[in-house]
Amino acid sequence: MPEPLLAILKLCALALLYLFFLRVLRAVWAEVGGARVAVAPAGRPQERERRPLARKERPSSHLTVVEPAQHRGRSFSLADEVTVGRAAGCQVTLDDDYASQLHARIFRRDGTLYVEDLGSTNGTYLNTHKVSAPTALKRGDRLKIGGTVMELTG
Amino acid sequence: MIPVVQRVRRNTELGLIVLGAVVTAGLYTLASLGTTANLPVDIGPFLGVVLALLAGAHVATRRLAPASDGVLLPLAGLLNGLGYVWIARLDPDLAALQAVWTAVGITAYVVTLVLVPKARDLDRYRYTFMLIGIALLLLPLVPGIGKTVNGARIWLQLGPLSFQPGEFAKIVLAVFFASYLVEKRELLGMAGHRVGPVMLPELRHFGPVLLAWGASLLVMVLERDLGSSLLFFALFLVMLWVATERLSYLLVGGLLFAGGAVAAASAFGHVRQRVDIWLDPWAAATDQGFQLVQATFALAWGGIAGTGPGLGNPDRIPLVETDFIFAAIGEELGLLGSAGVLVTFLLMVGTGLRIALAAHTPFNKLLAAGLTAILGIQAFIIIGGVIRVVPLTGITLPFVSYGGSSLVANYVLLALLIRISADNAESELQAP
Repeated sequence: MPEPLLAILKLCALALLYLFFLRVLRAVWAEVGGARVAVAPAGRPQERERRPLARKERPSSHLTVVEPAQHRGRSFSLADEVTVGRAAGCQVTLDDDYASQLHARIFRRDGTLYVEDLGSTNGTYLNTHKVSAPTALKRGDRLKIGGTVMELTG
Repeated sequence: MIPVVQRVRRNTELGLIVLGAVVTAGLYTLASLGTTANLPVDIGPFLGVVLALLAGAHVATRRLAPASDGVLLPLAGLLNGLGYVWIARLDPDLAALQAVWTAVGITAYVVTLVLVPKARDLDRYRYTFMLIGIALLLLPLVPGIGKTVNGARIWLQLGPLSFQPGEFAKIVLAVFFASYLVEKRELLGMAGHRVGPVMLPELRHFGPVLLAWGASLLVMVLERDLGSSLLFFALFLVMLWVATERLSYLLVGGLLFAGGAVAAASAFGHVRQRVDIWLDPWAAATDQGFQLVQATFALAWGGIAGTGPGLGNPDRIPLVETDFIFAAIGEELGLLGSAGVLVTFLLMVGTGLRIALAAHTPFNKLLAAGLTAILGIQAFIIIGGVIRVVPLTGITLPFVSYGGSSLVANYVLLALLIRISADNAESELQAP
């Protein structure tokens, strides 16, 4: 086979290799930068209109500390997603030696609040049951995180 | 929401796998044209087997971790394919073995995904993993089953089977480090004394660092395996640094290692020899430096676009299928091809770190960072050794080099990263 032909084929193979990289980069870009463009489905328009309405109607929920006594009555309002723990970066910061830095996460999906343990050392308890998977919360539920007990209020 | 993400990611993966297989098959054909001036007789079956192996892994991922990242598997498949093309071009007998190892590796990938349904399950077996890791590291020293190859005592010979337990030790120890450091990081991260602008932790908290340092020196001295020794210590330091966010561990650890390496270089002949040929391979161009000198010639001969697959002479380099495969690719695909290998590792490490950033639990975060570090550090150590950025230490180039233990272990590592990324997506999007 003539050498120039081989050289051209080699360059074609290299071009394919770099095409592969371009496609990988495009896939990564779709996830990092343009996630919304690539992932969001065209969707039914009424669904998109309903969302903000639902947000307005939703009553705001709070976590109110029940124990220990010295913090009783302290209340944290719950946004769509909050983290609970000792770290200063948490939205619900607990001054509790038995809580982990990043202890649990409370988030809202389709109007329902869920609690999820984030691999804490001492575990998260919902009404004395240990939380092992994301679990739905309702008003009046008691969450025990470390030595702190909090109640979900409306 | 989640089915959309799953579909996008899995279809991306499938598309990239097909493209990667086409690149691999194209290079395989070119290598055959270059060496024998004939089209390979088995190109049809070859493309079929490459596609079947990767499609097997892809289907398993679809079923077992549908929401996981979509680019890691194709990138690993591409590296595996590139490596195979050059192994086949250099030594067809080894290539047959490597094909078997690839099949075993992909099986190990699937089995790992089955056995580890959630990455956090690994957190429970912390000390079991520690013991397994130490045992795997030290097994080659046991008389009778340990075997010395090319001066390094890192092989285990059990009947007809021989493998390098250290390849698996690195994964097991990464799991142990992640689990241990998540628990101890608050303690280890506490500030002690302030020296200038650097906050030093309490002196006693350097205990684990000293222990890891001692263990890595032990490996270096007893098993004569510089590469693994460097890899383990660097892995521990990186994970400690990520866990505590204290740069001082990295600095002190780096100084410790440098000190140990200098001491080892003056005390042990085999270490000093590596340093000497790194600084000046030409002084011993016909004996100890021969390999490095030949690799340098190969890379220089390759130029920008290479001689073309099958048209170079990388077989002049001793051990070219394992430690020096990067030089073979550099000779025949030139700067463009070897940069392609680097880009692939860069993309894999970037994706691994992205998975670590997105992880919701400290254990997953640290494990993903550690596994990614293994890939990156290993690629750096061996590529850096071949192109004389650092002293040469013989370890395998992940997924590319010939070597069963290495290939299987790296597929297990890949499965764990895939598992963590699936966990991320699930806790991100799935309301129970």
